[in-house]
Amino acid sequence: MGIFDFITGRKKPTPGELAKERLKVALVQDRMKVNPELLELIKSDLLTAISRRLDVDEQHVEIRLAREDHWDKLKAEVPIKRQKISFECKVTVEVEKDDESEL
Amino acid sequence: MESRVITITSGKGGVGKTTTTANIGTALALQGKRVAVVDSDIGLRNLDAILGLENRIVYDLVDVVEGQCRLRQALIKDKRLHDLYLLPAAQTRDKNAVNSVQMEQLCQQLRAEFDFVLIDSPAGIEQGFRNAIVGADEIIIVANPEMASVRDADRIIGLVEAAGKPEPRLILNRLRAEMARRGDMMDVADVLEVLGVDLLGIVPEDEMIIVATNKGEPIVFEKRSRAGRAFLHAAQRIMGEEVPLDEVTEVPSLLERLRRLVGFGPALAEKRVRS
Repeated sequence: MGIFDFITGRKKPTPGELAKERLKVALVQDRMKVNPELLELIKSDLLTAISRRLDVDEQHVEIRLAREDHWDKLKAEVPIKRQKISFECKVTVEVEKDDESEL
Repeated sequence: MESRVITITSGKGGVGKTTTTANIGTALALQGKRVAVVDSDIGLRNLDAILGLENRIVYDLVDVVEGQCRLRQALIKDKRLHDLYLLPAAQTRDKNAVNSVQMEQLCQQLRAEFDFVLIDSPAGIEQGFRNAIVGADEIIIVANPEMASVRDADRIIGLVEAAGKPEPRLILNRLRAEMARRGDMMDVADVLEVLGVDLLGIVPEDEMIIVATNKGEPIVFEKRSRAGRAFLHAAQRIMGEEVPLDEVTEVPSLLERLRRLVGFGPALAEKRVRS
């Protein structure tokens, strides 16, 4: 159970659990040198990428750092409203164009 | 027997490094090992006081390193145990009086004389800490089950691994089992989950430590003390013995607490542990 579950009131944490969850977030931030500002940037990059293909419910996106099974993780929960039909390879074409312009 | 150099460190101050060093050192000597405990906290000497040897210091670590005296002249023999020696820190110098090369050479010199060399590290992550770990084969991290201490311990684990040392083992000190059980503080599993290292021992919070420190007698001599037994068990694990990690489940009953209060503690408490 993550700290966000606690905040949204799914379960009232004991002080011990609260300490552990706060600690985990602090440690991942320390280790990965990721601050909340950078996390917001990553979130916005991620939304841009996913929104090309899927219709994202941006109000309910959660992105956070966690430590599980000895791994530092970036965890994202991205609720989808409905599927966009966008299987065309527009993006790839654009990238190729960019490459050409750089050359 | 191959000599082992073990550094006790923590990052955060006040979590029990020096108490742990004194007690594990004493416990190893009680098991018949030749032990040197080294106070590497230059300028803030304390290990001597916990061992009750503060009045016997003539030379110190810096004197040895600078060649003012021979190693044997600086080593102070413990009052109680034949095989326990203290190399005290200098009190009037600062952390930069010694460098890593000198520290490594000192460890080599000590290896020749002892089965175990225990180095009490200063708090922090600066030169003093680096000196303390440079000659070590093994590292023991001391942490308390609270946020600041565990966070610093995590930082230290990273630095120890970056220095090419094997993964440190943890002594979780000052655990309040009753508070952890109520969920009012982190318990053993929480800390292990966060730090991801092996556990060497769990030491319960114990008022008798304060009494022992005041007397200058390590708590391992006090058979009634749960903390003392925990340090003894940790020392046995260092020697490779399989001792179950039961310090935490060993919560005293109300009856036992009452008995301790009126002073019939030792015999009954011991019986409980053996059974």
